[in-house]
Amino acid sequence: MTITKSSQADELTVALTGRLDTNTSPQLESELKDSLDGIKKLIIDLGALEYISSAGLRVLLSAQKIMKKQGGMVVRGANESVLDVFEVTGFSDILTIEQV
Amino acid sequence: MNLTYLRLAFVAVCPVIASALLYILDKRTKFGSIDNRKKQILYGIIFGVLAVIGTEFGVPIEGAVINVRDAAPLCAGLLFGSLAGIISGIIGGTERWFAVLWGAGEHTRLACTMATVVAGLLGAALRKWMFDNKKPLWYYGFAIGVVVEVIYMLMIFFTNVSDVYTAFVFVKRCSLLTVLANAVSVTLAVLVVSFLGKGHRHRDKEYKKLSQTFSRWLMLVILAALCCTSVITFILQTSFSSRNSDALLTLNIEDVKADIEDASDENLLRLTRNVAADINNAGVVNNKLLHEICNKDGNDFSEINYVDKKGIIIYSTNTAFIGFDMYSGKQSRAFTVLLDGVSEFVQGYQSITHDSYVKMKYAGVSLDNGDFVQVGYNAERFRSDIDTLVVGATRNRHVGKSGYILIASDDCIIVSDPNNSSEGQTLEKTGIIINRDSISENVRFECMVYGMACYCMYAVTEGYCIIAVQPVEEVLFSRDLSVYLMAFMEILIFATLFILIYFLIKMLVVENIHRINGALGEITGGNLNVAVDVRTNEEFASLSDDINTTVFTLKGYIAEAAARIDKELEIAKVIQLSSLPCTFPPYPDRTDFDVFASMNAAKEVGGDFYDLYLLDENRLAFLVADVSGKGITAAMFMMKAKTLLKDYAEKEDNVADILTKANEALCEGNDAEMFVTCWMGILNFAEHTVSFANAGHNPPLVRHKNGNFEFYKSRPGFVLGGMEGSKYCQGEFPFNPGDEIYLYTDGVTEATNINNELFGDSRLYNVLNTMADVSAEKICRAVKENVDSFVGEAPQFDDMTMLHLHLLQKNIITLMPCKEKIPEACAFVEKNLEHTEVPVKIITKMNVAVDEIFSNIASYSGASEVKIECCAANGKVLLTFIDNGKPYDPLAKPDPDITKSAEEREIGGLGIYMVKKTMDKVEYQYRCEQNILTLTKFFP
Repeated sequence: MTITKSSQADELTVALTGRLDTNTSPQLESELKDSLDGIKKLIIDLGALEYISSAGLRVLLSAQKIMKKQGGMVVRGANESVLDVFEVTGFSDILTIEQV
Repeated sequence: MNLTYLRLAFVAVCPVIASALLYILDKRTKFGSIDNRKKQILYGIIFGVLAVIGTEFGVPIEGAVINVRDAAPLCAGLLFGSLAGIISGIIGGTERWFAVLWGAGEHTRLACTMATVVAGLLGAALRKWMFDNKKPLWYYGFAIGVVVEVIYMLMIFFTNVSDVYTAFVFVKRCSLLTVLANAVSVTLAVLVVSFLGKGHRHRDKEYKKLSQTFSRWLMLVILAALCCTSVITFILQTSFSSRNSDALLTLNIEDVKADIEDASDENLLRLTRNVAADINNAGVVNNKLLHEICNKDGNDFSEINYVDKKGIIIYSTNTAFIGFDMYSGKQSRAFTVLLDGVSEFVQGYQSITHDSYVKMKYAGVSLDNGDFVQVGYNAERFRSDIDTLVVGATRNRHVGKSGYILIASDDCIIVSDPNNSSEGQTLEKTGIIINRDSISENVRFECMVYGMACYCMYAVTEGYCIIAVQPVEEVLFSRDLSVYLMAFMEILIFATLFILIYFLIKMLVVENIHRINGALGEITGGNLNVAVDVRTNEEFASLSDDINTTVFTLKGYIAEAAARIDKELEIAKVIQLSSLPCTFPPYPDRTDFDVFASMNAAKEVGGDFYDLYLLDENRLAFLVADVSGKGITAAMFMMKAKTLLKDYAEKEDNVADILTKANEALCEGNDAEMFVTCWMGILNFAEHTVSFANAGHNPPLVRHKNGNFEFYKSRPGFVLGGMEGSKYCQGEFPFNPGDEIYLYTDGVTEATNINNELFGDSRLYNVLNTMADVSAEKICRAVKENVDSFVGEAPQFDDMTMLHLHLLQKNIITLMPCKEKIPEACAFVEKNLEHTEVPVKIITKMNVAVDEIFSNIASYSGASEVKIECCAANGKVLLTFIDNGKPYDPLAKPDPDITKSAEEREIGGLGIYMVKKTMDKVEYQYRCEQNILTLTKFFP
């Protein structure tokens, strides 16, 4: 998985490519831990993400918890299988999902 | 005489020989291939020449010439064709017309010519219209011969109306022989040609029968009528002619008799008047005076008597009579009228009263004084006076046409014989013998006169015997003429009626029957939609309606029966199909093999079958079989075979034993002589082998992993149910994961297209080898589609059955249970699914599942290794995780509450929950100290 970050003032966009699974989630987790200070809006771009596992969900959940305090988080461009996972796990109610 | 008949026979045989020779020439040599028209002309000329020979070599018999002229044109027409008949008739007729110039009979010229032409035309017409250009039967030939000659005879009459007598004499003399000779000639020709052409004659039996019945009865009736009318005519005409003859004879005799009597009376009276004058003049009357007068020249009487007023002879040249009382006798008393005022009296030649042995003729004349004188003369004196008169009276007299009057004297000396100048000779000379005691006067009798049968009648007068003679032939001429004409006419009428009825029957009955038969033939042939429509008359219209109604009703019944049978067959098909394993996959739990089979029956029910069943966990029996024959019987035998095979498969370990036992059981009571071919295999999953036995079945196609499908040929055993005691050998070949086997019946390889080409082994081979990595079902369907498109419009003759078994490769990976191995696990699953029909979306889901489960095991199980098994078949992906860690059922954990907010959410337990949600089935079991988790995901 590759993680591409781009920030504009207090807005951070994190684009994920590949798979967000047990092995790659810690990578994202640490990435976010370092970057979320002072960020008011976090945009997670899942346009190039193949799939997501529960470990990935955990990362997204903790990011969501943090961002709820600092401002907001948006999940954008998730593909069908990722959306399915969100739906099944109830994450579609927790996350702010934007369709492109 | 014999020579004459021989000659006749020879002439009559000529057309027979010619017919035979020409027939042989036509049928047995190259001559037959010549253009028919030319042949006909040639035949016409040949038979025309034969007719000429018949004319020129007439055979004279009894003054008439017998010709066998008409047989030739008839033969030509009847046997060789219409044109030949017409040509020969015209040639024969024309020649006969001109033959008069060199001596042929003049008065039959027209009749002969016409009859010969008619013979040719009739033969031609009958062949064409009555016998349908085929040879007639011999009796038809005879009848036609007779009819033609009868026409000839009638023509002789009609062309000689002015001289019927001559014509009749001719006909009477020659008719029988001419008719027979010609008719027999034609008959023989027909017989000989029929004999030569045996087997060539195809007569319509039915048609013959019907017209035969009619013609037989018609013939009987007409023959009876002919006989009756002939007999009646004969009797009537005989009696009529006889009475005519009687009247004619009597009339002539009376005439002559009167002539003679008149003449002799007149003669005697004249003489007596002279005597009376002499006596009146003499004054004195005495015997002497009477003697003087009596002896006077030219008188020469027998006697002269002088009778006084009292009727007493007072003077006489015969003194014995003096004193004789005239009143005393009957003969003499007649003269007493002279005493009562009558002046003259003459009496016929008769016995006298005085002496009955003396015959005299007397005349009396009254005298001036009232007495009378009687003059008499005897036979000699009388005849010398009368003979010349008598001859004169008969010389020019004819009785009828050729009859005449003979006159003989009392002593049978002929006085007058107008035709034969036999005067002076005795009557015996003519042949007439008159015995007056047995034959009375004025009665007809028959005797030979100058060698000719004649009717005769006699009368006696004035000492003469008058005999009228008339030839019998003349008397009976009209009778014979009537009888002949009647017979001829009736034969002609019969022939006409026969032909008329023949054609009427043909037109009104036979042709209609043929039409109805034709329609019935079509109906029998299976076309029930044909309507019979013969409406030429009421009977046939009604028959047509009846047949149509019957067919309509039948059609209803047949449709009903067909519907019932269809329904039953439909049920049979359902039963049969339901007896075959038809749910695929048959063992959904088994992921290690993929199997599919299908059976397409040619009829509603078929004789093919397949079967497959797990004998135990490690052995799968599978087979394809083909029962001889099709339909219900085959289907029933199939059920028996299938049940037996399954029974023995469960009891026996060895495939060969299964077949051997099943064969014994099938042979038992196999009265229908049915048999079944079968290829049966048992796949052993543990040993990776297929053991099999073959009972006369087609070789299967086997494909080993990474290889091609190849026919697996083995020496087959005998068919099941064919022979008791058949032994089967068991074969075995390795069958590893990835190997495939395809079984089929000959309905596949022997499927035939409209050009009668077989689908064949090579096409099957090619089709199978174009397919790689597809499911068993797809392979079966692909073969079926290929066969169907090859066969096209042609009907399916045989059941088509196939079975495909694929031992799936077991895909297992054994990994260390650590998170670092997750990509490896994912890659293994992805690789296994990438060439299958599993959609990408599902592969993704499988990946997520692998991630979750594997990380779970890695994190919590404490296992030293994890095995992952993955396979996709039969529309589902199976993923099994086997680890040797501590027993742990991930499914036992309660699902997380996904409705909680982000803050409240616990992060654990979500992975298993996700797997449960995205997979269709998740099963856990702990077996052999292993945790086994199986995920199932269906795909479309």
